[in-house]
Amino acid sequence: MKTVRLLAGNDWRLMARSRVAQLALLMLLALSIVAAVTAVAHRDDSNALRARFQQQADRAFDGQPARHPHRMVHYGHFVFRPLPALAGFDPGVDGFTGNTIFLEGHRQNSANFGDVRQSSLLARFGQLTPAFVLQALAPLVLIFVGFGLIANERERGTLRLLRVHGRSAAEVLGGKLLALGGIAAVLLTPALAALIWLVASARAEPLAAGLLALGYIGYLALWVLGIVIVSALVRSARGALIALLGLWTLTTILVPRIGPDIALRLEPQLTRLETDIAIQRDLQRLGDSHNPDDPHFAAFKARILAQYGVSRVEDLPLNYRGLVALEGERLTASLFDRYATAQFAQQRRQGTIATRLGLLSPAVAIRSLSMALAGTDLEGHRRFLQQAEAYRYGIVQRLNRLQAETVTYVDDGNRNRDPEAARRVRIDPRHWQEVPDFTYRPASLAERLAAAAPGAGILLVWLGLAAAAAVAAIRRLEETV
Amino acid sequence: MGPGVIGLWRHELRLFLRQPMALPLLLLVVLLSAGSVWAGLAEVAHQREVIARIQPQQAADVAAVAASAAADGDPGNAAYYTHHVTWDPPSDLAFIALGQRDVAPFVLRVRALALEGQINESETYNAELALPGRFDWAFVLTYLAPLFAIALLHDLVASEREAGRLALLGAMARSRRGLWARRALLRSGLLFAALTLPLIVGGLIANSGWALLGVIGLAAAYLAFWTLACLAAAWLRLGSVSAAAALAAVWLIVTLVLPGLALVAINAAIPVRQGVELTLAQREAVHGGWDKPKPATMAAFFRAEPAWRNTAPVRGGFHWKWYYAFQHLGDLSVAEPVRAYRAGLERRDALTRQVGYVLPPVGLQLALHRLARTDLQAQLAYQDRIRAYHAQLRRFYYGYLFTDRPFQAADFARAPRWPEPPPQP
Amino acid sequence: MISESSSPAVIALSGLTLRRGTRTVLADLTLQVAAGEIYALLGGNGAGKSTTLSVLLGFLRPDGGTVTVAGTDPVTAPDAARRQIAFLPESVALYDQLSAYENIAYFMALTGHEPTRGAMDGALDAAGLQAEARTRRVGGYSKGMRQKVAIAMAVLRDVPVLLLDEPTSGLDPRATADFNALLGRLKARGTAILMVTHDLLGAADCADRIGFLAEGRIVDEVRPADGIDVLALHHRYGEAAAA
Repeated sequence: MKTVRLLAGNDWRLMARSRVAQLALLMLLALSIVAAVTAVAHRDDSNALRARFQQQADRAFDGQPARHPHRMVHYGHFVFRPLPALAGFDPGVDGFTGNTIFLEGHRQNSANFGDVRQSSLLARFGQLTPAFVLQALAPLVLIFVGFGLIANERERGTLRLLRVHGRSAAEVLGGKLLALGGIAAVLLTPALAALIWLVASARAEPLAAGLLALGYIGYLALWVLGIVIVSALVRSARGALIALLGLWTLTTILVPRIGPDIALRLEPQLTRLETDIAIQRDLQRLGDSHNPDDPHFAAFKARILAQYGVSRVEDLPLNYRGLVALEGERLTASLFDRYATAQFAQQRRQGTIATRLGLLSPAVAIRSLSMALAGTDLEGHRRFLQQAEAYRYGIVQRLNRLQAETVTYVDDGNRNRDPEAARRVRIDPRHWQEVPDFTYRPASLAERLAAAAPGAGILLVWLGLAAAAAVAAIRRLEETV
Repeated sequence: MGPGVIGLWRHELRLFLRQPMALPLLLLVVLLSAGSVWAGLAEVAHQREVIARIQPQQAADVAAVAASAAADGDPGNAAYYTHHVTWDPPSDLAFIALGQRDVAPFVLRVRALALEGQINESETYNAELALPGRFDWAFVLTYLAPLFAIALLHDLVASEREAGRLALLGAMARSRRGLWARRALLRSGLLFAALTLPLIVGGLIANSGWALLGVIGLAAAYLAFWTLACLAAAWLRLGSVSAAAALAAVWLIVTLVLPGLALVAINAAIPVRQGVELTLAQREAVHGGWDKPKPATMAAFFRAEPAWRNTAPVRGGFHWKWYYAFQHLGDLSVAEPVRAYRAGLERRDALTRQVGYVLPPVGLQLALHRLARTDLQAQLAYQDRIRAYHAQLRRFYYGYLFTDRPFQAADFARAPRWPEPPPQP
Repeated sequence: MISESSSPAVIALSGLTLRRGTRTVLADLTLQVAAGEIYALLGGNGAGKSTTLSVLLGFLRPDGGTVTVAGTDPVTAPDAARRQIAFLPESVALYDQLSAYENIAYFMALTGHEPTRGAMDGALDAAGLQAEARTRRVGGYSKGMRQKVAIAMAVLRDVPVLLLDEPTSGLDPRATADFNALLGRLKARGTAILMVTHDLLGAADCADRIGFLAEGRIVDEVRPADGIDVLALHHRYGEAAAA
């Protein structure tokens, strides 16, 4: 072990004298700091802005005057998706999804105003965040610093010298791993500091932050192993550099792009427009409340009349229009749920295909692990969409029930003709204030850990493979030198 | 007796292709380029197919509305329940750069209600798949081609020096500058050919026409930039290892780091929160319409739409005329934030263009996406066409509402149609 | 001591000075080589031998003095000068992935010539490369075989000037004798030959004149034909030559 430290110490001295290594390291550290500061600030700003908009929307809803409840169904509500604390480290898909939805009766609107549509093409070049720096740029810096660690010694003949002096191949490799690992540790520090800051200032869960750090340590350890192994196996320093740059391009740039294309080709998704039309079509089949002869609503009417033992809707103790609104919303919402479930299932299948391709690229695995732990993966957005829909359904049915219970059928029918009836159908605004505000429930830690498991598993497989390759490299070093 | 110009090039070609990595690298480029062209063509065909296949679905939807919700002949119901389909077909060059078409809708339905609540609807897409960006030809050219250029050209002179052939070559060549120029041109030319041949095939399939020449010109200019960068490394007499490292670092900085920093700077300099603000404001304005006195609403509406000024006045509790009037007034009330929102987006785009003048990868991406009509400008142009179409729709329904003409089954077919014909898949 | 040759000079250096930083590499170097003459420039490491060749080839620009190569000035017209020069570098590096024929064809194409297979065979015969090796890739060649390919190229060039950098260092005694015979034939063709070497015995075997270079200038010049005491010269200049 002492030998390994000694060898690593020598490499650090050499790196400290190399202008290329210094420059690469300093550049990346500066970049990490800029990325951490801007990403944390961006998260804080966005989250504060969304919270402010949410408050404004809540106030507007609660502040509506006395109204017919159905007016409130169409006045609707806005909900905003808050950003999890760790989005300051890895914003994940946040910029690529809308963060606000307008909720209203019988319609399911889309989440709008995602950053990507509001930014220029630059957004597609990759966002400079601590996660991106560690996923894409840090490996490249490690390559620049480390490609020659063994290859250079071989070319200069000093490798033979070390072996002649009784250093085993394992010690040489260990020394190089420690040397490059030390550099990787330096590269990690700004990101770790950002994580600690998010735990302290934004109350990110320490366990999630710790596992995130562990994931990135594993990812960079994989690159350190890979770089030293390639440097040991490839004959020339130039060959090692070209091979490593090729490996980086393949795993970090190419595979992450090809995966989605394959997933989309295998699982093409319907446009929003087609889903809307299909829902409308199914709704017509289920029951058309506009059609007086519609069998579903005719049966519904008969059932209600029988339930209350009356023969005319006017004699019902409840406002029949409200009951129809409740039933209509139930039908539409059931369709929304069915289509959303199918769509989410398809997106999960797409995600599985892309993750399987992640077996080819540790960068895909760490990205999936990172977003899952940060709570900024697609699953997080799905949770928002599902909770928003549940909230929408809750409000609309509450308002429909108010229409059924507090507005009489006669008044409801005459409200456009009789000013007195129009006055009576406007109910007390305390009803709006009693509607609970939307609170987004983020994924629990257990759920996030489960979501991060596939990525972690793939990384572990890679680490195992790299360890096996390291053993092979030691054997080669012993034979060839 | 002399070998002539052609002979020399033939000799250089043989020499280059005999290098162990040359042919595999070029074949890989052909493969990647062809793969990206194929993926782009498939995506464009898919988008065309979507536009084509929604036509019958849309027709059935309108027929269902005509048969049920709007069967009573009330133009208010017809306008309320009928959706009108718009689409933005991909250009003949869209396959090279798919751009924002994966996250922005290229088919959108609108009703004659207030538009601002409809026009910012987003498309259903898998954000995790959109995050890394698509594998299109623009990506291969912008990101991968420089790496291949570096692999082929970084040791143009250094390899000869390190192999000990530099003096002999220098003594034999009729012109040393000519020798290096010939070799650099040959290698970058082969790379250029490997990149553009699949593109040209794709362009012929997609019938892209002369615009393809613009793309090819951009590719040539971009490769020339990277070739010159490699020549600069040779001019600085960098060794092959230092040259490869330095050029890869330059690539990293100009294609990933500086664009990332520029994005942070631009988005911080020009915040665009007006989108949400105007949506909130527009909803207040539209719903406030229910509570405003009808004569004031109608008077304001007639100021904007004087054509219907002298039609029958609105009486009673509810009338569709009044409803559509305050819908439109809701749009008008947010005209200023809409303009500001758009100006913000355009300002961001303009700043990005300025970045593009300095950073070749950014400039290239902007130019390719402009040629392909898949950039923000194209998106905004589509929105402008939707706005114009929506105005047509409104006035079409106003023609029935304000003259109290019943809206018959046959009238559904008279509604203005989206001006562009749907593409044949 | 420094003598003028009888016929007009094809290579002429006069008062050549070249500095690298603060170090003076060439200091007032003057020498002339006539057509059909072999001149050996002898000196140890750092004496300025290779620098002299680089100036003649137009790779380096001198700080003072004049240079003429077959009527051209390598300082102002390096490409024109190089067209008059065949050059044999010390350690011949060729393209390993090409055969001897292909290497010759490539390098000759660079000079603007396309020799026939017969012409190449003639030159390779003269250089002494065995016929069966000529179609093999030179990656498997020995140092001597590579040198023979380069010599064949020099023969094919058929130019008035031949510059040689340590030409016999990779050759065995038999090949050295063949090489000297070849030089004799080129000399008879009227080629002006300048070789730089640290091998006094080798130079004495083939050169018409030998110049001793030290600290950037010629300090002594002898004609082997006049009968020289090689041993004495070796003792006098050997230290520098052996270094």
